[in-house]
Order: sequence, then C-alpha cells, then structure tokens
Amino acid sequence: MGRTTKAAILSVCGIVLLILGLVGSIAVGWTDMGAVDAVTALIDSSASQQHLIVSTLRLPRALLAAIIGAGLAVAGAIMQAMTGNPLASPQTFGVNAGASLAVVAAIVLLPELPVPYYALMAFAGAVLGGLAVFAMGSAGGMTPVKLALAGTAVHLFLSSLTEAFILFHQHSTDQVLFWLAGSLDGADWSDIRRVLPWAAAGLLLSFLMARSISIMKMGEDVARNLGQHVARVRAMCGLLVIVLAGSGVAVAGPIGFVGLMVPHLVRYAVGSQTRLYLPLTALAGALLLVLADILSRFIAYPYESPVGIVTALLGAPFFLYLVSKERRAA
Amino acid sequence: MAVKRLLLPLLLLLLVVAAIVSMGTGAVFISPREIAEALLGTGTKNHAFIIGQYRLPRVALGMLAGAGLAVSGVILQGMIRNPLASPDVIGITKGAGLAAAIVIFLCPKSPPVLLPLAAFCGAAAVAFVLYLYTRRRSVQPSTLALVGIALGVVCQAGIQYLMVKNPGDVNAALLWMAGSLWGRGWEHMWAVLPWLSVFLPLTLLASRRLDVLSLGDDIAEGLGERVDRLRVLLLIASVALAGACVAAVGSIGFVGMLSPHIARKLVGGQHAILTPVAACIGALLIVIADSIGRGLLPPMEVPVGIVTAIIGAPYFLYLLARERKKRFS
Repeated sequence: MGRTTKAAILSVCGIVLLILGLVGSIAVGWTDMGAVDAVTALIDSSASQQHLIVSTLRLPRALLAAIIGAGLAVAGAIMQAMTGNPLASPQTFGVNAGASLAVVAAIVLLPELPVPYYALMAFAGAVLGGLAVFAMGSAGGMTPVKLALAGTAVHLFLSSLTEAFILFHQHSTDQVLFWLAGSLDGADWSDIRRVLPWAAAGLLLSFLMARSISIMKMGEDVARNLGQHVARVRAMCGLLVIVLAGSGVAVAGPIGFVGLMVPHLVRYAVGSQTRLYLPLTALAGALLLVLADILSRFIAYPYESPVGIVTALLGAPFFLYLVSKERRAA
Repeated sequence: MAVKRLLLPLLLLLLVVAAIVSMGTGAVFISPREIAEALLGTGTKNHAFIIGQYRLPRVALGMLAGAGLAVSGVILQGMIRNPLASPDVIGITKGAGLAAAIVIFLCPKSPPVLLPLAAFCGAAAVAFVLYLYTRRRSVQPSTLALVGIALGVVCQAGIQYLMVKNPGDVNAALLWMAGSLWGRGWEHMWAVLPWLSVFLPLTLLASRRLDVLSLGDDIAEGLGERVDRLRVLLLIASVALAGACVAAVGSIGFVGMLSPHIARKLVGGQHAILTPVAACIGALLIVIADSIGRGLLPPMEVPVGIVTAIIGAPYFLYLLARERKKRFS
C-alpha cells in the first residue's frame, strides 16, 4: 500500500473519528445525554433545555477545541520542520508563555481594550517568547537539550512576570488562573468568531505552503539549491506559527504539548513526505484536543478542570519518550 | 589575579552594607547608627524589638537562601554543562511547589512547620525520581536536564489543578510560589542553617572535581574520576541546598540561574573561587531584592521572587544579546 493511499484512508478515518469525538463532546458532561439525544437536540430547534445546552455551550466548545487543536498541531509541525528539532513546539519554544504574558498584561494594564484585540497582543507576545528562545537556544547549533533548557528558562521567566501581574491585580484572578492553565470551559460562539478567521487563514496558507515546508526539512542548503527563497519561506513560516498558536492562546490560554505530540504521531503513521501530512496533522490535533477536553470534564467531576492539565499530563511522558528515542538514535 | 582575590572581601563588604540598608528600610525607617545600637543592645527598646525580632532574622534568612540557591545553581550548571541549568529549570523547585500547594490547599489548618517540611520532601521526591530514571544507564547530564524539565511540567499541571479547584486560597499559594520573606523569623533561619553549613563546605571541597567534570565526561573519567557516582553525590548536594532554601522562603526564581553566571563573568570558571563568589552574589541579590520589595510601595510588600524576576529581566536580555553576537560574529 502506497503512502498516499494510507494517508487518504487515515484521513477518512480521522474525519469519522473527529465527527464521533465532536458528538461525544456535545453529549457528555454535567447534563448527560445519549449521543442520539444530543444530535436530535442539536437539530431540533424547538427551545428545549437540551437544545439550549447543546447549541450555546457544548457545540461552540467542541468546535473551539477542534479549531485550536488543529492550529496548535500545525504550528508544531511547521516549527519542527523549520528547526529540524524534534522537541520544537509552541510550548517548548516559549510562544505560548509569551502570548499569555501579553494577554494578561493587556487584561491588567489596558482593561478598556476590546476583547478581539487580545489576539493581536498574543501575537506580539508570541513573537517575543519565540525570538528569545530561538536566540538563546541556537547559539552554536541548536541541540534538543539546548532548546529545551532555553525554552524552559524563558518560560519560567515569562510566567513569573505573568504571576506578578496576577498578584497585583487581584480581582478577576480566578478566571485568569483558569485561563492560564489552558481552558475551553465557557467557550461560546463569540470565541469561535474571534479565532476562526486567523486559524482558517493560517491553516489554509500552511497547506498551500506544504511543499516548501517539506523541502525546508532537508536543510537550508538543499532547499536553496532546489530554488527555494529560504529567507522568505522562513519568515512566512514564523508568521504562520505566530498566528496559529497566538490566536489559540488568546482565546483558550496556553494549551501545551498538542503541538509537540501530534506531528510526531502523524509522522509515525504516514511519514512526513506525503502531501496530506499537514492536513492529517491538523485533523489529528483537532481530534486530540476534542478528546482531551472530554477527559478534562471527568478529572474533578462535577467540576471543570482546564484542558491544559490533561494535555500536560499526556505530553510530559511523550516528551520523555522523544528524549530517550533521540538518545538512542544519537 | 590580585583583583580576583580582592573581589571576595569586597562582595562581603557590599553584603554588609546591603544588610544594613535592608534592616533600615520598611514601614519604620531606622538609621544605620540606630541599627548598630540596637544590635549592640544599647538602642531603644522599640528598635531593638523590630531589628531583633523581624528585620535581622529576615536579612539573615535572605542571605542564607540566596547563597544556597546560588551554590545549587553552580553545581547544576557545572554538572550539566549548560549555563541555563538551575534548580528552577530542572523541576526541583516545582516539586517543592507542588508539595507546598498540597499543604496549602488540602490541609490549610496544618501547623506552619508542615509547609517547609512538605516543600523539602517535594524537592527530594523530584530528585529521587530523577535519580531512579537515570540510574539504569549512565547518567547523561542532558538526560538529567530533560527529565527534570518533564517532571517540572507534571508538577506544574498539579499545581494548576489545585489552584483551579480551590479558588479561595489561591493568593496564599501564589505568594508562596512567587517566593517571599514576609513573616519569616528566626525559626526559619535555624531550619536552613544546618543544611547550608553541611553542604556549602562539601561543595567547596568538591570544587576541584566540579572543575574536572565541567571538562566533559571522557576527560573526567580519564583523570580518574568516578563520574556517575560523583554526579549522584553532587545532585544530592544541589537538591539539599535548593530544597532547604525553597522550603523556607518559597520558590524564589532566577537567583540560582543568574548568580553563577554573574560570578563566572567576574572570576572565571574555577569552582574553588566561583562557588563562594556566587554564594555572595546570590545573598546580595536576595537582600537587595527584598529591600526594594519592601521600600517600593510601603506598607505593601512586593514579594522578593517578583523583584528578582524583574531584576533578572535585563540580565536575561543581556545574555540573549551576547549569545546572538556570538552566533553572528
């Protein structure tokens, strides 16, 4: 079976699974309903209570998880391709921490700022965090260890500044804390409207650029000889990462490790040399975050827990696995 | 070389000056002369009380904690051979934080002794897992760092979970996480002192071995060092130092990372001189940061940890610029 066939079959499976996941996500929770009930409640527009729950709370939340998961996963895939570093991701690269610092600063310092502008703040913060880690980690060749150390150092630094903002601004602290752990609780349609344009544009562009991105993976020199405008592709990819990860953080907080895990999982399944690699990554990211979101409702049932906790608990062992695999390869 | 030898006394002098300034600032200003009188027992009762019961133990604890964190950083940076390693990055501080959060949230009525004890156990637990993970193979320094980072992430997730579940006590926990000398007294000082008085001299004794180790594992082994065993011992020393300090003052960040750096700039990489200089710089950093935190917006206090992060920022940026320059030159 060729790679492309396999990838195509997997994408169909992925789509089916994602739909099942979305249905599961709208069916499961504090008001439990069967899958069939959930779907009928969704279609049935008579103002039943179930319809209200599904259409104003559960559906936007499930869709938001899918959108953000796709964005983070593709951002991670692009970063791993650009740096050639298996540990690269929005989380390890300080992009998430930078974006959350900027958003918390905006909440505290500019309370009049309309919510849609948070995304722009998040972009600025994401640039800051990403550049800092890149500069510190790439001196004298970026090894995975250097990247991880620089990323953690920058992350600690940015998050202690974030904590300072929170300590000095005590009202609305609870909400900010929840958001800071990465959370989809309380998502509504306005959140979707805020993130969808950025995410859709970012995803579409990255699919269009998939060829250039996979050529970049072969290294700078090869890419140049194959006629790539290396600097231009780099800049474009940086921009894509910032838009994809930053818009997600602006809405749902820094959700970690989706961008680290998913590209690897997809690579194990189909390899990264197929044209469907990035779309599959997006699909798998969406699926992962939707499932993690369902899980997060049961950690402290009946209370909500931030989904970022679930992804961190899944991601940390995966990180260790990657590390030990790297070492064996080296 | 002469300059280097003068540096240590100079730093100690600076430390004394900083301590005097720190004891003077606060809601009640006390002049240096009055401080001296209070210390000698000839001052007013009021001042003697403030100094003896509040400000002196606080300054002493700050110095000890700064020195301990700095030396812990020296050990880790020498051992892992990366200038960004430090107890906060390796997850030790986060382990202490998780244990502290468990105590703060789940048994808020517990006696105050329990919190530092739990924090120390948390740090030790992270160190133990680190040790277990690395025991089977030879202890690669990079593995140590990466496993520590992953453990830190897990602990952080736990802390966030507890914070979100118990929104009522979040401020106490946040204050502890930020690291603060507020309300610390002699008993905290006495709790830290034994750890430091054992492990600081031990580290100094091991300074030649740290020098050898920072040349690389192969060279160290060639020079007759039992690298794996040495590394485990050094890890224990570093965790004991960091754990004791974090237990007493909360997770003050960046002192463990920045002090060894600054010291290395000043005196170079020989651990025999690097270690004491880094300890002095760590102590200075915390004492100065604490005075700033108290003097900035009296009667409100800015937690020391936040001040050290803000002081750390420009230095961090400077490091960044230097690394960039190295890369492009």
